[in-house]
Amino acid sequence: MRLRQRIIDFLFAPEPDAWLTLLRLGLGLQIIFYALSFRHDWNIVFAAEGSPFVSRDLTEAIGKIDNPLGPQIGWFIVLGSHLGLSEQMTLSILWLLLLGAGGALVLGFFCRTSAVIAWLVHLCAAQSGDFFAYGLDNLMTIGLFYLAIAPLPDRYALDAKLWRLKRIDPARLGFHRRVLQLHLCLIYFFSGLTKCLGAGWWNGASIWRALTRPPFDIIPIEVLASWKILFPVVGIAVCLFETAYPVFIWPRTTRLVWLAAILAMHMAIGLSMGLFLFASIMLVLNVAAFGPRSAMVARQHTPAEFGPTATAASLF
Amino acid sequence: MLFHFALIVGISAQQTFWIVAQGYTSLPHSIDPFSRKAADALTIALGQDLGLSNPARQSLTAYLHSAGIEGGYGFFAPNIPSSYKLVFELHYPDGHVEYDLPHVSGTATGLRLVSLLDRIGRTQYEPLREVMLKMLAYSAWQEHAGAATVRAVFGYVDVPSLSELKEGKKESYNFLYAYDFTFPSSSNAPPR
Repeated sequence: MRLRQRIIDFLFAPEPDAWLTLLRLGLGLQIIFYALSFRHDWNIVFAAEGSPFVSRDLTEAIGKIDNPLGPQIGWFIVLGSHLGLSEQMTLSILWLLLLGAGGALVLGFFCRTSAVIAWLVHLCAAQSGDFFAYGLDNLMTIGLFYLAIAPLPDRYALDAKLWRLKRIDPARLGFHRRVLQLHLCLIYFFSGLTKCLGAGWWNGASIWRALTRPPFDIIPIEVLASWKILFPVVGIAVCLFETAYPVFIWPRTTRLVWLAAILAMHMAIGLSMGLFLFASIMLVLNVAAFGPRSAMVARQHTPAEFGPTATAASLF
Repeated sequence: MLFHFALIVGISAQQTFWIVAQGYTSLPHSIDPFSRKAADALTIALGQDLGLSNPARQSLTAYLHSAGIEGGYGFFAPNIPSSYKLVFELHYPDGHVEYDLPHVSGTATGLRLVSLLDRIGRTQYEPLREVMLKMLAYSAWQEHAGAATVRAVFGYVDVPSLSELKEGKKESYNFLYAYDFTFPSSSNAPPR
């Protein structure tokens, strides 16, 4: 019984909604930048014909073999054609919908609807563009999925000011944050573990290759060569920070250091390799999960501030 | 929630065991068979050996993709792969040859082009690889419609290591495949 209670306490530790505000704001901005980064290419990349990449028809046909129930941009094209809209018009509407959902998330306007739209349109783009998707799309899907099911709106959202909504149970907020925290721990652990299994991360060769591999070679190779002494240290540090993330991110004494190290790592990846959107999604997820007002801090608040937590046990 | 995290752990572990089984790591090869068995067992546990038309597999796959947990998290691990490169040789009827690269207008989309080339490089099924390259070649041909033939030359970029750089070695381009495509100028239909 004591173990069960401890698990319940861990999973449903009451939380204020500041983390959800950070997640909503961060993902809203992420969606805006993602949509803007695609603004010149969205319509041609997702065109069934004339794409500079591989045609959407082929990607979707192959995607359907493995995931026939997965949403695709083609669904909206078919829907649009029934309404008399051309493919280009439907694609433009989808892009505007995505951008609008990002803006609405930043404002906190129709939070749930905006989160679901952002998740769905992004998921369709990721599925229909599976041949040219990369880690960024995975992590954005994860973040948007959790946001779409989170207990929105938070108190700073415009929705909370406009409509008289019931206050969200802090135990529910705590549970949703725990899910995000645990998922991040698994992401870093497995990412770090697989890096540890490669010799290149221990002798610095992988850092060198990562920074010199086109198109990530934005720092001149001569400059990199002068930093060679740092590469083994950086490689081992990356392995350590990622693999030990689930260990050191929880204790209050090490949390801030580990979070700062991970954030610095992602900023360095973004700046040195030009992976700005990938860096920003990792910053958003980390800050929302383990940033300010964590569960450790929340426990210091009075129960009255959070209200009853009876639903915690019933949800478990 | 337990189900959700069981899926994340299962897929991440399956991918890790698969990487070890392929011999991509610095672990002794004697454990490769064990890793292969573990990866296979997890594939079965995750229902990925069920028939493609099985509703349970379809539902599970849809959930995995919707939650973004369909793949492992071994970005740039265990080692950094080489970059692939695609060059188009545009052969004109008068015999002259021009060269072009696939291009997109945005930097962010350029990163996606890299992913696409990686995907083509990893594709073992030759007809699919040819179709993908044909589509890219068609896009290049549209910008050089006078060309009689487009040769898509696919290879990888070999970046020198630190020690090789000291010896004066430069970045080199290594040939993997080449395909010749002809697009009749009267046809506007894209390749299928």
